[in-house]
Amino acid sequence: MIEVKNVFKSFNGEFVLNDVSVLFEAGKCNMIIGRSGSGKTVLLKSIVGLLEIDRGEIWYDDRLFSKLILNERQEIRQKMGMLFQGGALFDSLTVEQNVMFPLNMFTNQSYREKLKRVNFCLERVRIERANSMLPAELSGGMRKRVAIARAIALNPKYLFCDEPNSGLDPETGIVIDKLIKEITVDFKTTTVINSHDMNSVLEIGDKVVYIHNGYKCWEGTQEEVLHTNNPDLNDFVFATTLAQQIKKQGI
Amino acid sequence: MIEYLFINFGKYFLMLKRIFARPGKFSIYYRQTITEVENLGINSFGIVVIISVFVGAVITIQTNYNIENPFLPKYLVGVTVRDSLLLEFSSTMVALILAGKVGSSIASEIGMMRVTEQIDALEIMGVNSASYLILPKIIASVIFFPVLCLISMIVGLFGGYLSCFLGKIIPPSDYIYGIQYAFYPHYISYALTKTVFYAFIIVTISAYYGYHVEGGAIEVGRSSTKAVVHSSVLILLANLILTRILLQ
Repeated sequence: MIEVKNVFKSFNGEFVLNDVSVLFEAGKCNMIIGRSGSGKTVLLKSIVGLLEIDRGEIWYDDRLFSKLILNERQEIRQKMGMLFQGGALFDSLTVEQNVMFPLNMFTNQSYREKLKRVNFCLERVRIERANSMLPAELSGGMRKRVAIARAIALNPKYLFCDEPNSGLDPETGIVIDKLIKEITVDFKTTTVINSHDMNSVLEIGDKVVYIHNGYKCWEGTQEEVLHTNNPDLNDFVFATTLAQQIKKQGI
Repeated sequence: MIEYLFINFGKYFLMLKRIFARPGKFSIYYRQTITEVENLGINSFGIVVIISVFVGAVITIQTNYNIENPFLPKYLVGVTVRDSLLLEFSSTMVALILAGKVGSSIASEIGMMRVTEQIDALEIMGVNSASYLILPKIIASVIFFPVLCLISMIVGLFGGYLSCFLGKIIPPSDYIYGIQYAFYPHYISYALTKTVFYAFIIVTISAYYGYHVEGGAIEVGRSSTKAVVHSSVLILLANLILTRILLQ
């Protein structure tokens, strides 16, 4: 469980997050949605500690993460996995070395044990016979799947995904979404997904948080998001012509 | 301007603090250091050798041209070439060359990692990214740059010999006598000491600019240029201070 309490964050005196409070539960896909520039990436980066918040609190279970010093944060971070927008795979390492990286850094397992785990994670994300390939040789979807494999290598307690579907075709996007959902349920991770893709929200979002101009405007479930009276959220959810037509015909 | 300078100083020292704080597993760092010895040291061997041979040869020709006097013994050419190479060229000039080659490579490598979120990925995993990426480079260069300096001295002197032998500048025996004449071994330790400082400057300044890049490919290019310019200026400043201290 991750709890964000009254968080404020500003850049050059301009507030990007204003008094945001939200609870992300374990074993659920928690979606942060909003328009580009609404503050959702800043919220996600603040939660993982890549950005320091100005005010407020961020709790990981019973530990106040936002007040911890770097070394203490690193203990919690070893329980985190993150899927970055571009994958953020290490260019000079092969797929196998990328997934093995966290195991090399934080375990004392033998090479055989680590390889077994790597192959398990790669199978889990349905990547086969790509162990020796470099990230540059992979397609966008494969890079994301390898990044997920690396993120789950250490059995994370918390999984963060920044725009997991960006740059992918809708079909591959759905594959990635389902994979994230499966991992969340199987490993009971607290998953926080930052997205502006409504397909994703409807596919896997257990809880949805809508951020608008740095404020948390709305929160609810996947079902509720389609029937909300919030005008901003309505505009966002039914922004496409297809969505508007579906709405007209009754959801 | 002064504020900018102080901010950069502060960020630089905070980065140094992170680099030397609690390194991770020894075996990982050891493997990284060996890789960096190859990347930063062994891969610079060629350019150092080529430049040193030619500079040794050119200094020999120029020295002979400048001190052509029947009252001055020919072996003085050897003495001058040796002292020029040992005191200045093989340490400072080679460091400036390495600042261009190694410095830009470090800044762009780390800068690209920053803009493609690879450094963020390390941080999220709980890895001290500054230490993991920069400490092996510092260790590798502090160990291997003095080796390059020694190689430059030897090859530069050999270049001078080739110039005498092939160009008939002065008799090679006079040159050999000259490079041994009144030899002061402290010059070597002086040059090596300077090189250790230069290695630290090149790696940390370049890494600083790469590590703090914000933006995209253009900013990475700019940081690479800044890394070369600033480390070169600091090498010259350090040269002045170290020469004053070590040659008293």
